[in-house]
Amino acid sequence: MRIILVLLAVTGIPRVLIGQRWERQVQERVQRTIAAVGPSPRLPVVRRSGMLNTDEAASFQTTLAQHTPYAIIAVCDDDCSRLQLTLLSPSGSDIAKERNSESLPILHFTAATSAVYGIRVVMEACRWNPCWYAIAVVPLRKIPS
Amino acid sequence: MASLKRWVLVGLVGCLALALAYLPPRGATSSGRSVFAPQSPRGTPARQRAQAVADEWRGADASLRLLRARRQLQQLVRQASAGTSLIVVSESGDVWAAAPPIADSAIHVAWRRLGLGETKVRVAVVIQQAAQSQRHDRPAAEGGLAVYLAPDSTDRTTCIAVVSLGSYWSRALAGDLRGRLPLFEALVQTLKAGLGPCAFYAAYGTPGKSVRGWLVSRGWDLALTLDAGARGRQGNSLIGMADPRYPWYWEAIYSVPPTAVACLASRPDGCRAAVLAGASDDPTIPIPDIVRIDRHWGRVTRLVEDQRFLGDVARAVGRDRFLSFWTSALPVDTALAAALKRPVGEWTVDWQRDFVRPIRLGPAPPLGGVAIALAIAVLAIVVVTGTASRRQIR
Repeated sequence: MRIILVLLAVTGIPRVLIGQRWERQVQERVQRTIAAVGPSPRLPVVRRSGMLNTDEAASFQTTLAQHTPYAIIAVCDDDCSRLQLTLLSPSGSDIAKERNSESLPILHFTAATSAVYGIRVVMEACRWNPCWYAIAVVPLRKIPS
Repeated sequence: MASLKRWVLVGLVGCLALALAYLPPRGATSSGRSVFAPQSPRGTPARQRAQAVADEWRGADASLRLLRARRQLQQLVRQASAGTSLIVVSESGDVWAAAPPIADSAIHVAWRRLGLGETKVRVAVVIQQAAQSQRHDRPAAEGGLAVYLAPDSTDRTTCIAVVSLGSYWSRALAGDLRGRLPLFEALVQTLKAGLGPCAFYAAYGTPGKSVRGWLVSRGWDLALTLDAGARGRQGNSLIGMADPRYPWYWEAIYSVPPTAVACLASRPDGCRAAVLAGASDDPTIPIPDIVRIDRHWGRVTRLVEDQRFLGDVARAVGRDRFLSFWTSALPVDTALAAALKRPVGEWTVDWQRDFVRPIRLGPAPPLGGVAIALAIAVLAIVVVTGTASRRQIR
């Protein structure tokens, strides 16, 4: 057992644990939320994470497939109390905005056509800067008609 | 007679106005140095200029070391295990090494005493020891200087502190002071103070834009010591140690800016101005955000005991209220008053009283001068009254 621990230390396998408590917190939280919304097994889940001070924003782009329902989830650590999530059209205008769910905003969206959409997150309230956040774009199983 | 009374009154009011306008303020008279008192050693202009250039060189050199350290430390930060928030290395003559065990132990003790455990912002401390052999092509290293690189200049969550230990501590750590080992406790205190603004970053995270801009503009002078111990008149500052019975007391008082003098006189407006100097509606934060701090005793301060101001605010209001101030997007004045639940000036007046007995300001005529002036005034009034009554036509 001791040899295994030494080998793990040397090879750096425990590096997966590297990261501060808050980073691990949001990763676990987003993982649980993804499992709860029921992802489609056919398409991959896009994930992003980072940290923001109060009033700072981050955005990224991702391709959404047509006629596929998506749940766009954002979570943040325990020190964050308000997170705003916005879905942007390919031209950059707001499609949907969620700012009422405090630290767990979720947007549901089904794209009419496949295109590159923008996702923006704003850290509206973080009592101990910076606050960690994670975003997941989860393709859902088709809703049976 | 009524006309005479009016003129006497006018004369007295005029005297009072002149006295207010021209009498020297309290303590502004010559200190009347004793011929037996030793002269303070003051260098020639050439020497003063050389020292100023040396200070500038030390500052530039420290900034350069900091930026070099940024690259070296990134690797260490990546390798640090989960939950490690304090990384300590030693540097001497551009050679990097693990910190001496006693220094490493002392800084970890200091970290725990500050109540810091796993923190959102990590602190990487570079303990800079004076080189064993002095190079003659550059100024000698001095203790008491510290340089900090705030988060966002390296990554979002690392604050770097370069603490220069000076020759005494460097020799002690190298074992040159065998038999005269300094106290471990003193090293803990030195390194605890050396954490400076990085201790605030570790304890409370990155401040909001308005608070950060305010502190940057004033060189973080109000947040140099996270935990300076209990308040009291221990006499840590020049003014705190000064004795009002001696003439140099007033020289010490007038060495600080006028707002600080007003604050010493328990004037809330003065205290408020001294605390809020540098606060702006549109703060700018430089990148890289380098903070240079001179901890030499006797440095000119904007407020007596300013280095502990925000540490004392944090202790007085509690963590939650201090965090709401620290991260607030509101102007500093509003955010600080909300955390204190009192106007900033009033709270600071009470805080300042804990260190220095309030002084009295205003015109201070010398006793002999007042007596002579009053005697002349009475004589003049008597003469005028006598002359006027004798010339009165009945």
